[in-house]
Amino acid sequence: MAAADVEAVDFEPEEDDLMDEDGAVDVDASPRAPLPKLKSAITGGSSFSAPKKTKGRGFREETEAERNHRFASREFDSLDSDGGPGPLRSIEGWIILVTGVHEEAQEDDLQNAFGEFGEVKNLHLNLDRRTGFVKGYALIEYESFEEAQAAISAMNGAELLTQIISVDWAFSNGPFRRRNARRRSPRGHRSRSPRRRY
Amino acid sequence: MAGEENGSGGGEFYLRYYVGHKGKFGHEFLEFEFRPDGKLRYANNSNYKNDTMIRKEVFLTPAVLKECRRIISGSEIMKEDDNNWPEPDRVGRQELEIVMGNEHISFTTSKIGSLVDVQSSKDPEGLRIFYYLVQDLKCFVFSLISLHFKIKPI
Repeated sequence: MAAADVEAVDFEPEEDDLMDEDGAVDVDASPRAPLPKLKSAITGGSSFSAPKKTKGRGFREETEAERNHRFASREFDSLDSDGGPGPLRSIEGWIILVTGVHEEAQEDDLQNAFGEFGEVKNLHLNLDRRTGFVKGYALIEYESFEEAQAAISAMNGAELLTQIISVDWAFSNGPFRRRNARRRSPRGHRSRSPRRRY
Repeated sequence: MAGEENGSGGGEFYLRYYVGHKGKFGHEFLEFEFRPDGKLRYANNSNYKNDTMIRKEVFLTPAVLKECRRIISGSEIMKEDDNNWPEPDRVGRQELEIVMGNEHISFTTSKIGSLVDVQSSKDPEGLRIFYYLVQDLKCFVFSLISLHFKIKPI
């Protein structure tokens, strides 16, 4: 239905039914109809039939069935989550992402700017492997939710070294997607997608 | 920062990277994927030290997906083609699959030891883009995984 095509992926705290544990497999699929086959183009490239321009040998090679097992069908560890809305606590604290970081920024610049909201327990300021300059993002860990929240509130949209930075949580309790799509029976929703393939 | 940022700025997004080989320690590989709903999955199987398979997953915010897309767009990898890249071989195999908007690439090649391998290939420009993008993506994923789970990802 038309609703499924509306590109409204919201990420809003008041939404609370993100994880229906059962049926997780179905629910994992994208809300946008043609996507559920994404998990493996190399094994199943043809299922991607949607109107996409495809390129690469991966589509032409036959592949081992084990690819599917390797990734799709096993247990993955994750930290406890209530599946509810909002940011997710990491094992030792709360991680925020800073983007728009100036390529010549130094760790001290970020320490100074973000130390105001609490002790920065960890800072990753990764470099562009080709240029050696800062890639443009930083990951920062605070011990408490309040410190991280204060940093986001104060620094999102602020200027750092002449550039406007964005600051937001890095991890989430659950998927981001249209709520209505999920609320429906996953079956009912997904049954539509195969039609597109012919 | 609302709706349009499903890590995208519009359109679909998926990424999967695999590097691995089969040898005397079995099938050793590293693989990660960014799924359309924001789930990051990471798997690392090294049989070398007592068969420790690490599998982690966590949901990312749209902000993180958006940064991932920015890194990919900046690399211009979607304009490349793996036609003239070294074929996967006994030494190893890499796969990079990305869906962005209406483009879908699924590239394969051998392991790349260093820039020397890049230079001596038939498509040094394209392979160099791949080489650096993969490093930047790994770097991003390792930071995310190690900060969230407090493990050394490699």
